[in-house]
This record gives sequence, C-alpha cells and structure tokens, in this order.
Amino acid sequence: MNSISVTVVIINIILAVLFSLGAAPILVWIERRVAGFIQDRMGPNRCHIKGIRLGGIIQSFADMLKLVFKEDFEANGIKQSFFFSLAPVIVFCSAFLTFMVMPFADDLKIGEQVFRMQGLPIDLGVLWFLAFAGLSVYGIMLGGWASNNKYSLLGSMRAGAQVISYEAAMGLSLVSVLITYGSIHLVDIVNFQGQLLFGFIPAWGIVVQPLAALIFIITAFAEANRTPFDIAEGESELVGGFHTEYSAMRFGLFFVGEYVAMSASSALIVTLFLGGYHLPWLNTHFLQQNISWVFVFLMIAIPCVSYIFSQWMFKNNRWLEVDNIRNRESKLLFKIIVGINVLIIVGLGLFLAFGIGENGTNIATAMIQVVTFAVKLMLMNFIFVWVRWTLPRFRYDQLQDLGWKILMPLAIANIVLTATIVVVFGA
Amino acid sequence: MGLKIVKREGKSFKDRIYLPAILSGMMITLGHFLRNLRDTSNIKTMNYPEEQPQDITARYRGVHRLTKREDESVRCVACFMCATACPAECIFIEAEERNDGVDEKMPKVFTIDLLECVFCGACVEACPCDAIRMDTGIFTFVAQKREDFLLTKDKLLSFEAKKEDA
Repeated sequence: MNSISVTVVIINIILAVLFSLGAAPILVWIERRVAGFIQDRMGPNRCHIKGIRLGGIIQSFADMLKLVFKEDFEANGIKQSFFFSLAPVIVFCSAFLTFMVMPFADDLKIGEQVFRMQGLPIDLGVLWFLAFAGLSVYGIMLGGWASNNKYSLLGSMRAGAQVISYEAAMGLSLVSVLITYGSIHLVDIVNFQGQLLFGFIPAWGIVVQPLAALIFIITAFAEANRTPFDIAEGESELVGGFHTEYSAMRFGLFFVGEYVAMSASSALIVTLFLGGYHLPWLNTHFLQQNISWVFVFLMIAIPCVSYIFSQWMFKNNRWLEVDNIRNRESKLLFKIIVGINVLIIVGLGLFLAFGIGENGTNIATAMIQVVTFAVKLMLMNFIFVWVRWTLPRFRYDQLQDLGWKILMPLAIANIVLTATIVVVFGA
Repeated sequence: MGLKIVKREGKSFKDRIYLPAILSGMMITLGHFLRNLRDTSNIKTMNYPEEQPQDITARYRGVHRLTKREDESVRCVACFMCATACPAECIFIEAEERNDGVDEKMPKVFTIDLLECVFCGACVEACPCDAIRMDTGIFTFVAQKREDFLLTKDKLLSFEAKKEDA
C-alpha cells in the first residue's frame, strides 16, 4: 500500500458514495421536477439559499433536513420495537451495498499498479447485485410485519410475492446475458461491449441481447418497487403500504433506500446493456490512443454546450418579481460557468502543449469514463422516473400473470436460443 | 331478434404485448416534458402568491361586508333574516334600539365566523335591506389565531366594495 493506491481507493469509495447516496437528493429532485413538467406544472422551484435555487434542488436538502428533525414517532401498537427500527436499516444498507460493485471506469493503470474502479474491488459482479437486491425485500417484509398494522402487512406480503416472482425471471434473463459475455465480472462485461459488431455497431447488450435487456429492465422496475410495480406501497389502496407506520428518519431511510436501489438498478442496466462506461465507438484503447484529439474536441464542445445552457438558463430561470433575490441567480451561475470553462480550456491547453505522459493519459481516460457513466446513469434514472409518471399500477393478479406466464417462459426461451447460437457459432 | 355481436378490443397480438401502447403513451409524456423544459412559459400554472388570478368574475363571492347608508351609519336593521337563512349558522347578531331617528333598530353585535362560513351567499339573498354583501374581492383571508377569524361589526363595516378595474 503506497500513497497512490490509498488515494485511488479513497476516490473510488467517494465516487461510489456520491453515485448512490449523493444521488438520492438529485434523484428526488429529478423525480419531482420531471413529474411536474410531464403534468404541465412547475414542480418545486421556490426553496432558495440566498437566492440560489439551482432549479429547485435546494428543496431536496430542505426535505432531508425536515425528515431528520421530525419527531421519531413509534405507535403504541408496535411490540417488536427492535425489528421495527432494523427494517429500514436493512433496506438502506442492501441498496447501498448493491452499488459497490459497479465499475465507474476501466481498470486504471498507474505505473505498474492496476486498480479496479469500483467501490469494493471484488469481482463477484452480477452475483453480488442479485444477492443484495434480494436481501432488501427482507427489510420491507420485516418493516411491514413489525408495524403490527394490516395495511403494512398486506403491503409487505405483496412486496415479498412480487420480488420472488420477478427475481426468477430476472435471474433467468441474466443467465442468457452471462452466456453471451462469458463472465460475471462487470469490467469484463463492459469491455466486451466496447467491441464493434460487424465493424460498425457498438456491441452493447441491448443490441446483442434485446430480449434479455427488455426482461431485465422490466424486472428491475419490479425489484426497485417502482411504478408500474409499486403495489407494495400502493398509496391509493394500502395507505402507504409497508411504511405506513414510519415517520422521521426511519421513513427517510426507506425513502433514500428506494432511490439508491433505483440508482443501483440503473447502474446495472447501464453496465450490462448500455455499454457501461464506454462511449459508443470509443473504447478505452481508442481513447488512450487519441487523447489529444479528445482534448481538442472537449475544448470546443464544452464552451458550445455551456453557451446553449446559458441561453436556456437566462430564458427560463426567472422569477416573476423583478427585484426578487432569486433573479440574481442566473448572473452568478453564468459567472461560475464562464470560470469553469476558462479553467477547463486553460488546463486542457496546458496538457496539450506539454503532454501528460502515460499515467496522465490513463487518468484522463478514467475521468472521461466516469463522466460517461454518470451521464448514462442519470439518463437511465430519468427513464425510471419517466415510466413512473406515465404508467398506471398493475393489478396484483396481472402482475403475477406477467411475471410467471410471460416473462419467465420468454427468459427460458432466450436462454435456449442464446445457448444454441453460442454452441453452434462458437462465439 | 337478432344478436348483436360486440367486437372485443384488446385481444390482438399488438394489444396483448402491451409494449406499443406503453411506448406511445411514453412518447406523449416525453412530448409534454420536452415542450415544458424548452420553454417554461408553456406551463399554464400560476406562481400563485406573486401572480394573482385575473379571471375571477365580479360576482364571485368573497368575504362579507356590511353596507352603509348615505350618512355612513350601518344599514342593517338587525332583522335576523341572514342569521335564519344561514345554513352554517355562522352569523351572530344582538339587536339594540336605534335612537338617532334614522331607523328603529340596529345590531349591537354582528359577528361572522369565517371558519364556519361556507360562502354560500344565502345571507346576501335573504337580506331585505341590501345591508350585507360579499363583493369585497377578498378571497384569501389569513389570520394567525382562530379568534381572528371572527369578523366583528366594526371590521365588517370597514371593508369596501372591490373597485372595478375597467
């Protein structure tokens, strides 16, 4: 262990925490704002710190503060107080741990050392995800049972039945994916997707295994307890489902856990089917070979994107009263954007002028890949949110029908098909 | 008597795999999202406290007021018609004799509990003297305590009719 390896490990852990825990307030914000726009209304846009609203993101932090400082109420009917408190912890921890195996970038080579860019440097990959995704339902069932409340128990029973049904289809759809990739280690899977199919199509999972991708995405929605599969919560039928009796930070843990689980599902979907940290047609090797051109492209692209964003911001980020403190925000943000742009251009220009060596190239590639992964992750999370605000909830029997009678046979057929193709063509 | 065969929808293969319908629905929501994201002025909701509604008609019922005679004295004669007509029983009147020669009777106490009031306008309909009206244009009455929602006679007399903006 030298200082470089310690630094890399710490950066990895920070990245993992940022992508999972740090993403939670952003996801709540995305959820509420996207919901608002889809339904032709504003969403949260008032909360501000000295006029800084950041499009309403401050509201998420205000909500979190509210949850922390609320009274931690426990109803008299709850006899199993310990399990009642344990349940949200299980949900949160398992959701949090699922994220730890997602690779943010290709293996980073500094000098002679090679580092895995994951929260925990283990190669269990998909198996780790399945194990902890399955574990989170224990928290929901425990919470529903310990609440000593009919609605909670019904909600948790529904969640249990749902997760058991959909985990079968999910596991089977993963089998065909793993046959194709020939590895459970996520970095190998992503590197497979860095190749080109027939020389011009990126060999992303969604191209190679479209059926498995579809089944996995559907079951991932069910795993994350999101609409159209949110019968465990079912607020129009079961009050609040398994978290009816929860308040304050115990509810907050359920709430954050749900979003972390959603983010983890998105991360796995991105990793398995959407090319992970690869940009299409630009795999790690290509990036490292042409790092100067990438820098030149970034030096042109970032100011262009910033310009378009600033135009949009000055047009839309306004407050009705002209002298309101919130109206000063756009100018301040514009200054910050200009500052960042100048820094990036000067920095990249210096790198271009003096060269950054092999280690620098590797680090720069890793940074580009981390950003790529983050963008893809947020796009996938957006799809989760988008689906939630489009589709109504499944009825319970329809849900079981879909899981057992449609998704599972399809997944098995897909395994047979994939295995046949792999054996015949020897892929 | 012939049988009418009703064609059942939703049994075709395209309907049974759900996905085309789901995708078309998602395209609709995405269209709304992108339209509103591109230009937030497309959103028709108001920024309420700063932006007041402009489409409230003149006859929309607001907080009550007691009207006055030409000599600025109270028009009400404490006949209890409004209190009788009130379905929410939120009007409390105590009468007293009126000695200034204008009339014979006037209210000593005239209190309306706005927390009880359902703003039905029955009091205005019932009044024989046109002494109570609901044309103040106050639709958002705010107070800190329950007691502050009890509008006394002085308070009711102090409200003016909403100015008609041409």
